[in-house]
Amino acid sequence: MNAVPRRHALRQLGLIAAGLAAACTPMRVLTSAYPQVFDDDDGLVDRVLRAFVTAVIPDAPQDDPDLVRAHTDPAYPFAQYAGFFAADLSRRAARRFGGRAFERLDVGERTAVIAEGLAADATTRKLYNGAVVLAQIAFYAGIYDPTKGCPAIGFEGGNHWHPLTDITYPDPERFLSHTRTADGNYA
Amino acid sequence: MKTVHTDVLIIGTGFGAAAPALRLAEAGVKVVMVEKGPKVQTADFRQTSDPQYLLKYIKGTPGDHLSLTYAEALGGGSGFYEMVSLRAPSLVFDQTDAQGRRLWPEAIDRAALDPYYDIAERMLHVSQIPLAEVPKTGLVFAQLMKNLGYSVDRARYAVRGCQGSGFCVTGCVYGAKQSLFLNYLPQAVAAGAEIETDLEALSIVPLPGVHRGKARHLTDLPYRYQVLCQRRTGEREQLRFVARIVVLGGGTVGSATLLFRSRAALPLVSEHLGRNIAYNGSVKVVGLLPDSFPDADMFTGRSHPGMISYEFLESHGITVHGAKALPLMLVSAARMHLEGDRRDPAWWGTPHVELMGRMRRRMIVIAAFGLTPPGAALELSDAGDARVSLPLSSGLERYHGETQRLLESILVRNGCRLVRTDFLDKSLAPEEGVHFSTAHQVGSCRMADAPSAGVVNAHGEVFGCPGLYVSDGACIPSSLAVNTSLTILANAERIAAGILDRYRLQQGAAA
Repeated sequence: MNAVPRRHALRQLGLIAAGLAAACTPMRVLTSAYPQVFDDDDGLVDRVLRAFVTAVIPDAPQDDPDLVRAHTDPAYPFAQYAGFFAADLSRRAARRFGGRAFERLDVGERTAVIAEGLAADATTRKLYNGAVVLAQIAFYAGIYDPTKGCPAIGFEGGNHWHPLTDITYPDPERFLSHTRTADGNYA
Repeated sequence: MKTVHTDVLIIGTGFGAAAPALRLAEAGVKVVMVEKGPKVQTADFRQTSDPQYLLKYIKGTPGDHLSLTYAEALGGGSGFYEMVSLRAPSLVFDQTDAQGRRLWPEAIDRAALDPYYDIAERMLHVSQIPLAEVPKTGLVFAQLMKNLGYSVDRARYAVRGCQGSGFCVTGCVYGAKQSLFLNYLPQAVAAGAEIETDLEALSIVPLPGVHRGKARHLTDLPYRYQVLCQRRTGEREQLRFVARIVVLGGGTVGSATLLFRSRAALPLVSEHLGRNIAYNGSVKVVGLLPDSFPDADMFTGRSHPGMISYEFLESHGITVHGAKALPLMLVSAARMHLEGDRRDPAWWGTPHVELMGRMRRRMIVIAAFGLTPPGAALELSDAGDARVSLPLSSGLERYHGETQRLLESILVRNGCRLVRTDFLDKSLAPEEGVHFSTAHQVGSCRMADAPSAGVVNAHGEVFGCPGLYVSDGACIPSSLAVNTSLTILANAERIAAGILDRYRLQQGAAA
């Protein structure tokens, strides 16, 4: 199925929170192994998340200060699960690649780890789905800086004014077909 | 608890509420409007992709095979709509149900609504988009249709001085879009109406005098309804409004929800409450333009890119439009990948990056609005949350499939490559099967000629509940195949005129 209703997108934003919350059941959080190393290294979650986002969006600049902000932003429920998500990535990476850290894998290896999470049990899948979509939203929409937007797709963000010559083409008649109404309203 | 007495209490401030508020205030009766959402004005709007900003105003009702979106703010959806303002084609009013019964009341057709469309268009300064302002995406859409010999028309919009920012749906920072807080609502206030925002109507209870008094002057009638409201800010204070007339204009979800909550006190409300929801069967497809086409542009020009085709209205019951989407809307709604791209994963990683890199200039979205039957229903959970359900009939699946194939054929025959898109459900997994999503929901309290067929009569008055009206999208009985706002507003003007006539009020008497 192929529809992309814009309004659906707006609705979807509201549901992301609920979806992520549902994805991360308290039981899973309680029972997840959370390696001590995450408590001992303040920057580890950030590094793992950066490695994750740059696998989801290989063009994303790794040093972008906003790169993983959405995943740790208290405005989104994902933030409370970010540490567990990072730990899960690390655990899968270590198991799959002989103990190597997720953030030290190349893009192809990280992609394999993420794909594994997306194909895991339903709860894990929801968590990974949410993390991928959140990364795409934050990066492509430039949600934290309307003056920056997303240069990778030519999105200037919110505050760019365009003259009419940017908005339309000269001689627009050449594009037009015949009409069925006199004024746009069908009888 | 504070009690406020008023002649007329209007629930909501959107397209269905604004016209009765203005006309009744102009007639010199006391009007109070209560709006669940916050006060908003042009200075509050931002051109932003910040989800937190949008979620402050935009709300959703999820459901099976259908999800609904609406706004909660002063002016209802008028602050955030695409300002497309088209009259419903005549054939819309001739739709029938499976038994061959007309969906609309006998007295209402296009000709009956035209005088009220005239008023609504004047109030909102509706005009056809000048050819010189049609955005690139609209012109490219026109070229797609022209190449196949199909007609296109320039659409009509409620706007003055459009700057083409592309952020219609986050609120017009230029005050160009004719949102209701620029016209109807301030005029209603100038005529004496009061507007309370951040105040939610919780329930309606009839008073003992509800069935006393026939058609005589409004102010001679007893107070007939008590409406309990609660502030959504501060101490959550409760207020009681006592009114001679209550007009529900809170939208298809809001009005039905309020009546559901009030049902114990309003036992005569028709069993059709919450049913018969129509949704303009929206289907969209996405493609990448071939090199022979000039660039489109997703990000500049008005959000709705200017063009509509009525080519398939009589043959297929659909209109076809060009469409645009900001990155936020696109990536939060769906997984996308280029058809034929065998790389795995395709919806993230390098393939997705490559696709997104072509989004702005080479991606084209076309959409159909269709005359799908009013088959959805709204219900409240025990917690009071609204949920919508749409039984997926074979006819509906066939409509979706045929419409999708038609739209795709327009792209393919022009040499476009299709972009496959999968909606995400609330767990962020792709929706299974057909799913419709819309902001054009109507009909949860539909107009009908008898309570056996609907909730309100052709005048908008709830069957069995004198003086209780529904004037918003909830009373519109069918899909329209065009954007719904102008028809809701015109019908609300018609209902307001009926109230003036019924209660011997003089139009503009307050002036």
